[in-house]
Amino acid sequence: MSVPVARRQLLARPGRTLAGLAGIATALLLVLVLKAIFAGMEERLTAYIDGSGADVIVAQSGVDTMHMTQSALPEKIAGAIAALPGVEEAKPILSVPTLVERGDRRGIVYLIGDDSGGEPLPLVAGRRPGAGEVLLERTLAGTLGARVGSTVRVLGRSLRVSGELGSMASITNSLAVVRREDLSRLLRSSGVVSYVLVRARPGVPAEGLAVRIERAVPGVTASTRAAFARSERRVVGDMSTDIVRAMIFVGFVIGVAVAGLVAYSSTLSQLRDYAVLRALGLRAKSALGLVLAQVGATVAAGFALALALVWLLGLLLPRLAPALVLVVRPADVVQALAVAGAVALAAAALPVLHVARVDPASVFRR
Amino acid sequence: MSSTIRPDRVPVAWRQLAAEPAKLCVSIAAVAAAVTLVLLLSGLRRGMGEQVTLYVDHQAPVLVGQSGSRNFLSQVSVLPEELGSRIERVPGVAWAAPIGQQYAMLRLHGRRALALLVGYDPGKPGGPWRIASGRAPRFDGELVLDRVLASEHGLGVGSTLEYRGARLRIVGLSSGTSAFMTPLAFATRSTVNALNRQPRTAGFFLVRPAPGVAPETLARRIDRAVPGVSALTKEEVAANDRRLFVGAFSGPLRAMVAIAFAVAILVIGLTIYSSTSERSREYATLKAVGLPRSALFRLVAAQAIALALGGTALGALLGLGAARAVSALAPKYLIVVTPGTVGPIAAGALATALAAALLPARYLARLDPASAFRR
Repeated sequence: MSVPVARRQLLARPGRTLAGLAGIATALLLVLVLKAIFAGMEERLTAYIDGSGADVIVAQSGVDTMHMTQSALPEKIAGAIAALPGVEEAKPILSVPTLVERGDRRGIVYLIGDDSGGEPLPLVAGRRPGAGEVLLERTLAGTLGARVGSTVRVLGRSLRVSGELGSMASITNSLAVVRREDLSRLLRSSGVVSYVLVRARPGVPAEGLAVRIERAVPGVTASTRAAFARSERRVVGDMSTDIVRAMIFVGFVIGVAVAGLVAYSSTLSQLRDYAVLRALGLRAKSALGLVLAQVGATVAAGFALALALVWLLGLLLPRLAPALVLVVRPADVVQALAVAGAVALAAAALPVLHVARVDPASVFRR
Repeated sequence: MSSTIRPDRVPVAWRQLAAEPAKLCVSIAAVAAAVTLVLLLSGLRRGMGEQVTLYVDHQAPVLVGQSGSRNFLSQVSVLPEELGSRIERVPGVAWAAPIGQQYAMLRLHGRRALALLVGYDPGKPGGPWRIASGRAPRFDGELVLDRVLASEHGLGVGSTLEYRGARLRIVGLSSGTSAFMTPLAFATRSTVNALNRQPRTAGFFLVRPAPGVAPETLARRIDRAVPGVSALTKEEVAANDRRLFVGAFSGPLRAMVAIAFAVAILVIGLTIYSSTSERSREYATLKAVGLPRSALFRLVAAQAIALALGGTALGALLGLGAARAVSALAPKYLIVVTPGTVGPIAAGALATALAAALLPARYLARLDPASAFRR
C-alpha cells in the first residue's frame, strides 16, 4: 500500500501551503496580467481596421500602420484605384489624432473623416454624422458625458453628437468619425487624404488586389486588412518587448523567492520526517522526488490559481475600466508555464540539497 | 506583575530570525524584489512623464497652436505660416518661430521605432539644442536623429533612411533628445510639410516674450488678438502632455504596483507565520514563564518590521542600481528613483509588515502555554 507522503506533508500545514500558493500565483499573475494587457491593447488597436470592411488598405509609400502614423495621399488616387479591375469600392478617409472636449472633460481620439460616416462600423445609438456632426465611440461618449444630441469641441469647432459606435477604445485613445469635408476644412488639407479603404469584388483575392494596386499606382503601399492589422499589432509588440521581458524576469525572481521560501521552510520543518523515512529505508533519490513533488504541486496549483485570477480580472475589468481589456493568448499561457517550470526547478534547489545531506541516524539522536 | 522575561534585554526576535540565515536571506530577497519592482514601475512612470515633455521643455515659453490645441503630442494642429507675422505684431512678442511636428513611425531593420519628427526653419529656434556629431539640417531631405536611437540601429552621419516614400539623409546626431516613446528627430519644416502634402503650414509657433512680459500674460493676449489659435505656456502644454501620456499607463502600472505589494505582504506573512508555527513550543515556553501576550505580539511584529525594513533597504539599493544600469545599458528608458520615492514605499512596506504580522498574532493568541510541557 502506498502512502501519499508528499500530499500529507503539504496538507500538514495548510496555512503555509496556501500562503505559498498565493505568493506563487501572484508572481505568475504579474507575468500573465502584463502580457494580457498588451494583448488587449493590440486587439483594440486594430478594432477600426477589423471593422472597416476594407479588404485592402492603401497608404502613402512605406506606411502600413495607422496609430501614431502619418499618411498623406492626393485625393485623386482614390479615383485611380476605383478604376482598377477587381475593385468594388475605393473609399478615401482622413485620420488624425486629436482631442474631443466637453467642458473640462477631454479624450484623445483618432478622428476619422469619412464620407460614409463610418460605415460599416456598427452603431449602438443615434445615426451616422452629417455636416457639423460627430459620431463618438461609446466609452468616450460615456467619459465625456456626451450623449446623442449634445455638443463637443474638436479642433476649436463645436460639433453635435449624432450617434455612438460600439466599444473600441483602448487605454491610450478612442475613435470619432466626422464627414471628410468637415475634417478637411479643419486641417486646411483640401485634396489630401490619409488612406484609401478598398473593397474587392466578390471572388477577387485581397493579396492579388494589393499587388495590382501597388503596381498600378505609384507612391503607395497597399496592404491586405490582415497584413495591416498584423503590422498595427507589431507596433505595440516592438515598443513593449523590453518592458515585458523585464517584467517577466521580475515575476520569475519573485516566483523563485516565494516558491523557494515555501519549499525550504516546509522541508526544514520536516527534516526529521525525512530522516525517519530514510532510516526506514527510503532511498535518497526517492526523498528528493518527494521534495520535487511538493514544489511541483505548489507551483502547479499556483499557476492554476493565477490563470483563474486572470480570467476573473478579464471579466471584472471591462466593467470597471471599459478601455482596459485583458486578452489571454495560449502562447502567453505557455510562456507563463515555462516561467513556472523554471521557478519550480530553481526553488527546489535549496531544499533538495538539505534532504540529500540528511543523516538517517539523526532520528535516533534525540 | 512584571514579566520574568525581559524581551528588551534578550534579542529574541533577532535570534529567531538569525537562527535560519538562508530563510532570512530568501525572505529579504523576495521582499526586496517586490520593493524593487514597485520602485522601477513608479520610476518608469515618472521617467515617462519627464521624457514626453523633453522637446517642449527646451523651447520658448509660449506655444501657439490651432484653436482647441491643448497638447504638443498626440494632437494635430495646422496653421497657415503667414500667421507668424500676425503673432509677432502682438505687443510683448519678441519673436515667433514656426515649427511642424508629427509622430514618425520609422521602420528600422524590420522593427518599428517611434520618433517625434520636428520640422523647423534653419537658422530659427525649434531645432536640436545639442549636436553630438555632424551638423543641423540646412536643406530638404536632411535629418538629425537622436544619437541613442541611431546607435540602436547602427545608423550614423551619412546613413539614409526611407520614410513615407522619401529618402532622408542623416547629417547629424543630437544628444539629450532620447526617450522611450518619443526620441526626437529634426528636419527642415519644408521637408515635413512636403511629407504631409501641406505646404506653407506650421503646426505650432514658438513664441518668445519681450523682456519683462510674463508668458501667461502674453498667452492670454495672443489668444484674444489672433483668431483661430490657442496660446498656452510651455508649462501648461507639458502638464497636459504628461497627463495624457502617463495617465494612459497609470491604470496598468498601478495594478502592477498593487500586485507587487500583495507579493510583499504574502512573503512577510509567510515567513513570519511559518517561523512562528515552527517555534510554537518556544513561544509556549515564553508564555508559560510569564511573557505577556502583548510582548509576544511585539516580538512577532518586530520580526515582520525587520524583514520589511531589510527588504526595503535592499530593494531600494537594487532599484537605484537597476535604474543606473538601465540608463547605462538602455539610455532610452528613464527611470527616476529618488530618496523621495523610497520614503512612501518604505512606509507602505511597514504597513505591509504589520498586516502580515496579523496572521501569526492570532495563532499566538490561541497558543496554550501548557503545550510547552506536553512533549
